[in-house]
Amino acid sequence: MTSLDAATARAAEIVIEDGLLGNPVPLWKQTWKRLLRKRSAQVGMIFIGFMILVAIFAPIIAPYDPNQVLIGVEDIKRREAPCVHLLGCDVAKPQHIMGIDGNARDVFSRLVYGSRISLMIGVITVSAALVMGVFLGAIAGFFGGWLDNLIMRVMDVILGFPSLLLAIAIVAVLGPGIVNALLAISVVSVPGYARVTRASVLSVKSQDFVSASRVLGASKWRILFTRVLPNALTPIVVLATMGIAGGILEAAGLSFLGLGAQPPMAEWGTMLGSEKDQIFSSPHLVFFPGIAIVITVLGFNLLGDGLRDALDPRLNA
Amino acid sequence: MRRIVFMSATALTMTAMSMGSAMSFEGDSLVAPNCDYGGKISAIRAIDEHTVSFEMCSADPAFEPKVAFVSFGIQPSEHIKTVGTTKDILTNPIGTGPFKLESWNRGDSIILKRNDDYWGDKPAYETLVFRWSTSGANQLNELRSGTVDQISTLSPDDFSAVQNDADLQFLPQSGPNVLYLGMTNTFPPFDNVKVRQAIAMGIDRQRIVNNYLPEGSEVADYFTPCTIPNGCAGESWYDFDPAAAKQLLAEAGYPDGFKTKIYLRDVFRVYLPEPTTFAVEFQAQLKANLGIDAEVVPLESGDFIGQASAGNLDGLYMLGWGADYPHITNFLDYHFGKDVKQFGESLPAIYEPLIKGSQIADVELAKPVYEQVNNAIRELVPMVPISHAAAGSAARDYVKNAGYRPFGAKQFGLADPGKDTMVVMQNAEPISLYCGDESDGESTLVCTQITETLLDYAQDSGSVVGGLATSCDPNDDATAWTCHLRQGVKFTDGSDFDANDVVASYAAGLDVTNPSHLGNTGAFDYFSSLWGLMNAATN
Repeated sequence: MTSLDAATARAAEIVIEDGLLGNPVPLWKQTWKRLLRKRSAQVGMIFIGFMILVAIFAPIIAPYDPNQVLIGVEDIKRREAPCVHLLGCDVAKPQHIMGIDGNARDVFSRLVYGSRISLMIGVITVSAALVMGVFLGAIAGFFGGWLDNLIMRVMDVILGFPSLLLAIAIVAVLGPGIVNALLAISVVSVPGYARVTRASVLSVKSQDFVSASRVLGASKWRILFTRVLPNALTPIVVLATMGIAGGILEAAGLSFLGLGAQPPMAEWGTMLGSEKDQIFSSPHLVFFPGIAIVITVLGFNLLGDGLRDALDPRLNA
Repeated sequence: MRRIVFMSATALTMTAMSMGSAMSFEGDSLVAPNCDYGGKISAIRAIDEHTVSFEMCSADPAFEPKVAFVSFGIQPSEHIKTVGTTKDILTNPIGTGPFKLESWNRGDSIILKRNDDYWGDKPAYETLVFRWSTSGANQLNELRSGTVDQISTLSPDDFSAVQNDADLQFLPQSGPNVLYLGMTNTFPPFDNVKVRQAIAMGIDRQRIVNNYLPEGSEVADYFTPCTIPNGCAGESWYDFDPAAAKQLLAEAGYPDGFKTKIYLRDVFRVYLPEPTTFAVEFQAQLKANLGIDAEVVPLESGDFIGQASAGNLDGLYMLGWGADYPHITNFLDYHFGKDVKQFGESLPAIYEPLIKGSQIADVELAKPVYEQVNNAIRELVPMVPISHAAAGSAARDYVKNAGYRPFGAKQFGLADPGKDTMVVMQNAEPISLYCGDESDGESTLVCTQITETLLDYAQDSGSVVGGLATSCDPNDDATAWTCHLRQGVKFTDGSDFDANDVVASYAAGLDVTNPSHLGNTGAFDYFSSLWGLMNAATN
């Protein structure tokens, strides 16, 4: 067995030295190159990049404090339609490119600051779920046996509930609020990551290079974290990218229902929910937050799609 | 609630032979052992088949508008005595009104059919359907598409859209109401009167009225709207003065403000068309004017009302009141009476003159008393009155007589959609159709179509007109009222309407020991707050 592996390795070296494959390029570099060639990934990255820039430079971009009530400050009415000077709006009137909301605040400023919250929600929920999910899934897949059974059955139970319903239940117990919403969304997304990680670990751990490490006497944990996991991460990266979109959407859903971000926090879902009855009289109040959510979620989904294609060697003929 | 049979309970419903003309009419009566129970009514007697007397413990100047209230609708005595002892009465109302209940499809609709034996003007159409939706946008949507003929509420933002729509008619509603910011004086820092006064001065109420309420709304200078006699006696509310408010707050020991909560229920009411938006406005004003950090906390509607009335809310809360009947006692006594826990400890400076005032029939004579009350409210600030809101709703243009009367729920028997069926959409499903024990507008609107009261509110003013009684006449000092009942009226179950039906209907609500005093929750809020419950101590 040992001699066979050694022979294979030697053969590979020979091949590489012979330059049949050209210089070996690291996987991530290859992926990045392929990703840049994918049209969907390009669009996704542009959307996300745009949102990240908006979030970082929010204080510079936003013309108003997102929570400032403009009654008495400017001559405006509640729920006034957008006024853009370039598009022919009276120059004497103050410019509000996305209009005024029900509490006489500038919708554009709220939307800009809302990007911070939404991106933060997406990243935090996915990070938290990722850490828990990958750890549990890796242990389950790698060690197997009763531990695998225990972890995965618990995950199955969580998966048995519709995720939004479970999130609502968690928030209902803990009380409404953005932190509890984050926690709820993280918890309900753990099983997804655990399952995929386990499947991926199962397929990787039976490969020869893992056996090689084992034979060389590496400890189980060392094998898991340095050999198996790095090679099992591909599907998880794709899932996490899409998961950010899901997290943003679920947080917006909870806030829409009044269970997530609480007033006066400028959060897109809350903005939508609090003005939903005005959809016919002041459509701009639901249109713009809706568009913002669509762009961000679409961005992460497109990037996730592109990433999957780029990471799948079978699609790269 | 523990139920112990009061020793002399049997003596309470005596039977007296009538002395008068009606042959073999056995008149029932309801008699309180004495007036120590604190209520208004000492006895209700069926004098003869068509005469009922109400003997009062003290003069009740508001007697007429009170008996016209829908919760005191009359049902047949037999029905009350049999079905009334079970929960079946909640879904099986028998009345004398222009409509009778055909079916209640839970979660979907209530269907009423015309009462062809109705004593008054019979409705021009046969079927009246009630449906419900909590969303104002949804109600308007259904109205626009023609699936409903009239809706009960209209968001102020949609006023102009309805006014400009040729297929719809805009219906102004003029019922007096008030929005207030409540505080419970048993929780710090609201136990300090200076803090309450600071909040009273530190909120720009004009800004709220100008920007958040429809045209025609007013800043509340008093708790009671000025259209109610004596509502505006005494000094008017503080002017907006953030500097003086901050000064008061500093004197109270909170120079930099404090942290608190603003509780609300997310339910549309005429006085509070957009709860969350208002909460955010209060939040912004408290922060800007007083440095107070308030967190907005939405509660479930029933929980919110329960906690507010029990005085359990430890922060500020937004609540309001719409007039049930045009009398100042309906505003002040209900909120600031001796037994009211809503604002914490009840304040003697307010409730003592209130007791006096509720016994004076003459508006001018009562004026100094209500001046005293209003000044005490201003001084002690149990709450901050914010606004009296104008309101409106809408109907399809072809509905005739779609408008609302100033007091009392809309009587749809007078409307005419020009077709066989009229569909009305309101905010929620009625809780039950036994309105003796309901207080929500959704239940009472449906009850109003089915059961009738002794007197009724006029269509065009706050005055009281005949209902099941052609008139109720007081004695000289308003301590006894004699009601002359309409003759030849039949209930929709075929039985004749007589004086015993009145006694039985009132006894079920008033007398806690009555076997028919069951209702839905058993609280009988309006019997309790307007008349006082008899024998409650024995329960």
